Amino acid sequence: MPIVTIDDRTVEVPAGTNLIEAALEVGVQIPHYCYHPRLSVVGQCRMCMVEIQGMPKLQAACSTQVVKDGMVVRTASPQAAEAQRAIMEFLLINHPLDCPICDQAGECGLQDYSFKHGDSFSRFRFEEKRTYPHKERIPLGPTVLLNMNRCIHCTRCIRFTREVSRTSELSFFERGSHTEIGTVPGHPLDNPLATCVVDLCPVGALTSTRFRFAERVWYLDKKPSICAGCDVGCNVTLEHRRGAIRRYKPRLNPEVNDYWMCDHGRASHERYAELPRLSAPGLRREGTLQATGWRDALDALFQALRAKRADGATAILGSGFLSTEEAYLLRRLAAFVETPHLSFWVDSGAARHIPNPRGGITGHDAAPNRRGAELAGLRPGPGGIDAESLLLEEGAAGCATLFVADSDFGKAAHDPRVVERLRRARFLAVMGWADTPLARAADLVLPVATHAEREGTWINADGRLQRFERAFPAPAQCRPALDVLIDLLARFDPKWASANAAVVFDVMAEEIAALSGLRWAEIPATGAALAAAPAEAGA
Amino acid sequence: MATERVLTRNVGRASARTVRGYRESGGYEALARALKMQPEEIVEEVKKSGLRGRGGAGFPCGAKWSFVPRGAGRPKYIVCNADESEPGTFKDRLLMEHDPHQLIEGCVIAGKAVEANTTYIYIRGEYTQATRVLEEAIRDAYDQGVLGSSVLGSGFRHDVYVHRGAGAYICGEETGLLESLEGRRGQPRVKPPFPAVVGAFGAPTVINNVETLCCVTHILQRGADWFRAIGTDERNTGPKLYAISGHVERPGTYEYPIGVPFQELLDGCGGMYKGRALKAFIPGGASAPMLTAAERGIRMDFDTLAKAGSMLGSAAVIVMDETTCVVRAALRLARFFAHESCGQCTPCREGTNWMRIVLERIECGAGSESDVDLLAHVVPNVGGISLCALGDAAQGPVRSLVQKFGDEIRDNLRNHRYPLPRVPFFDLGAAS
Repeated sequence: MPIVTIDDRTVEVPAGTNLIEAALEVGVQIPHYCYHPRLSVVGQCRMCMVEIQGMPKLQAACSTQVVKDGMVVRTASPQAAEAQRAIMEFLLINHPLDCPICDQAGECGLQDYSFKHGDSFSRFRFEEKRTYPHKERIPLGPTVLLNMNRCIHCTRCIRFTREVSRTSELSFFERGSHTEIGTVPGHPLDNPLATCVVDLCPVGALTSTRFRFAERVWYLDKKPSICAGCDVGCNVTLEHRRGAIRRYKPRLNPEVNDYWMCDHGRASHERYAELPRLSAPGLRREGTLQATGWRDALDALFQALRAKRADGATAILGSGFLSTEEAYLLRRLAAFVETPHLSFWVDSGAARHIPNPRGGITGHDAAPNRRGAELAGLRPGPGGIDAESLLLEEGAAGCATLFVADSDFGKAAHDPRVVERLRRARFLAVMGWADTPLARAADLVLPVATHAEREGTWINADGRLQRFERAFPAPAQCRPALDVLIDLLARFDPKWASANAAVVFDVMAEEIAALSGLRWAEIPATGAALAAAPAEAGA
Repeated sequence: MATERVLTRNVGRASARTVRGYRESGGYEALARALKMQPEEIVEEVKKSGLRGRGGAGFPCGAKWSFVPRGAGRPKYIVCNADESEPGTFKDRLLMEHDPHQLIEGCVIAGKAVEANTTYIYIRGEYTQATRVLEEAIRDAYDQGVLGSSVLGSGFRHDVYVHRGAGAYICGEETGLLESLEGRRGQPRVKPPFPAVVGAFGAPTVINNVETLCCVTHILQRGADWFRAIGTDERNTGPKLYAISGHVERPGTYEYPIGVPFQELLDGCGGMYKGRALKAFIPGGASAPMLTAAERGIRMDFDTLAKAGSMLGSAAVIVMDETTCVVRAALRLARFFAHESCGQCTPCREGTNWMRIVLERIECGAGSESDVDLLAHVVPNVGGISLCALGDAAQGPVRSLVQKFGDEIRDNLRNHRYPLPRVPFFDLGAAS
């Protein structure tokens, strides 16, 4: 592999690596706007000009490849610095500088490079700035708004729609200093990945209709998480302020979602704000649900599960929103109760395709963890009542106790007919974060954390196990479902009392062949690919 | 110096537009020779001739051809750049309208040299007459077996297509031209890869100017040594067309051996208009920096002009007399480049417009001396770091304006002389 020297630091890179990537290897950031690792190289912004020994002129780092040994590059020589300063000046003379009212402020490429490479004064003093009248807020599609005055013409958005989403809605129109971005009439920017152009836009020209004016970005706490919108399992940065999620942004994982995520996923957190929240454990007394303490609530559930009543079965229903550990604990619970009536439900969703360097992943579920529930063994034993029987038939009528481990397991939890069917169980316990019709019909409700408030693992459509972290604490009376289940199991066997997510995962990994060799602490940041077919779990 | 007309020998001879008439003056003899040669031999011959591209950059033609990968296994293309859009340039038009077969012959020879079976002639959209003449000539050439599946019965296939542009200056830039030819927005591509490797439709492509290909015809007919004997030295060889416009008595296209002194050119077209004094001249089309009257003895070839800080470019000579406001002249060019910038790269999109605004301010009398300093600082940043040569082209005239007339402009600004009076080129009132 050829060796290149960048700012006196030497690095060996594969032939064909461009200078921006090569410089990153030695910790040198070459400023750039139009270059993006997954888009074609166009060399348009001219911000990445660097000096290369032996070349008469400055070269664009993005379009210069390291092909043979001995290239000596200077990224901050007087000449290169002057070129970078000049480009900043050119970009800013016609930029509105409306940072105080711009959503991008705080994460803006112009602000960052202006601070680092630009002048602190303007020589464009007497001239009027070029503007695009009436183009300050053009809806390009349902989720993206264009302010042409702020655009720096890097064409990342255009190239994204041509090369990644392959929908080609965007294009350049006009030319010269009046060049503008736009859509062809009748073809709005409405592809499933459309909002990715907002992430790609280095300035505030493209803004998201969902996030616009929602929050100044410097007030946001940013935590790594995983999207719960489908079973692709896009890695996201969850951005919240004091527990109110403002947006998801895709987080690079070349094995899953690469740099992208879909608009459906971006909107998926809104459910946490739309649905009313269960705020305290509740127990039905004299016909009405009344707030109670966790100890009483869990005791009541323990009693109901343990009493092997002759007048009916004990059934447990999980969902695809549970973490793999929670699903596993549900199965352990079923074993203590000695019931074969264990199952889970997942709604099917639209096919959602996220491209990545290996082609991409398509999800078909409306929940993130069907494969985890399957792997953990949430399936009925011989003669057991399954989810279809509970939800679509009269399976619940024969139940003395029905424990639904997710109050928002699917559309059915909001369907009065289904709720009525489940209600036929003589004791209905519901755990979950959402106050759904199902929860309101229950005899016992247990308020738990959303996925942003707890930790666990999900297994995506590709069979990749990914860990998600707690982004912020759950509200006062809500507890992670895993802790609730541990407390419940501890009532059957005290050794569970000291368990946590890590312990549960490691125990589970020892039992389930597909997870063998994995340990909670060692799950890679990009997830762990499991053996092709999830193996049967021991019953 | 020799005054034999080579490239323009058929100008004014209407019969030369047919294959039969063209043959009367020795036409298609060069092609017949080339078809018997090996491709490498043709490239060698052109290399030996010292022919440099006549479109503007002056890149050695033979070297350009030799960059094309050898072997006939994959499609390759010849593209003739007939998008003559540099302001002041009208030489290719003359060649196409009067001697279309000279160009077609050059195209086929180039095709043989790089083993390409197709030529696209990308012609400027406004050249309707030239398009018509070329298309008729091509039809005739097919009928006479000069083009088609077996050129002159040699078994070598070559097709020629005429593609009309839609009027953008930037489509004269070779990669912008390719984008336009492929049906996309005409904006230059980032290089490398160069067209010789990845060009039209992703295939290796040679892009040559009309005059360059016409020269090839004569090199093959009369030999590289004959060609080399014409001109200043071994780096500046062959006959050259000069398109002269502006304040001269008889503007037009003139053929001289390359390297003719400017004064001789000027004398050849009748001298200055009404005998006025020369103030400045642009030697190579709108993008060439201006030269002053003091430099009137300069030899008009690639290297001499480059040494003087200008360029031969397309050899479009624009002559300006003492009545000219040089700021207004530069502004006119700045407006052109700001209008024609494709808008994709930052320095050109923003810089051309900025230069226009500052020049407008000076020209109308609202400027100050600091504007001259501003231009001196901003202008170098427009060229050099732009994506294609348009940025360099746009800053050429303004840079020379500041360099050569900076003191004059400052003096005028100090004394509030702007705007300078407009002197009509033609005094229409006095004609009656």
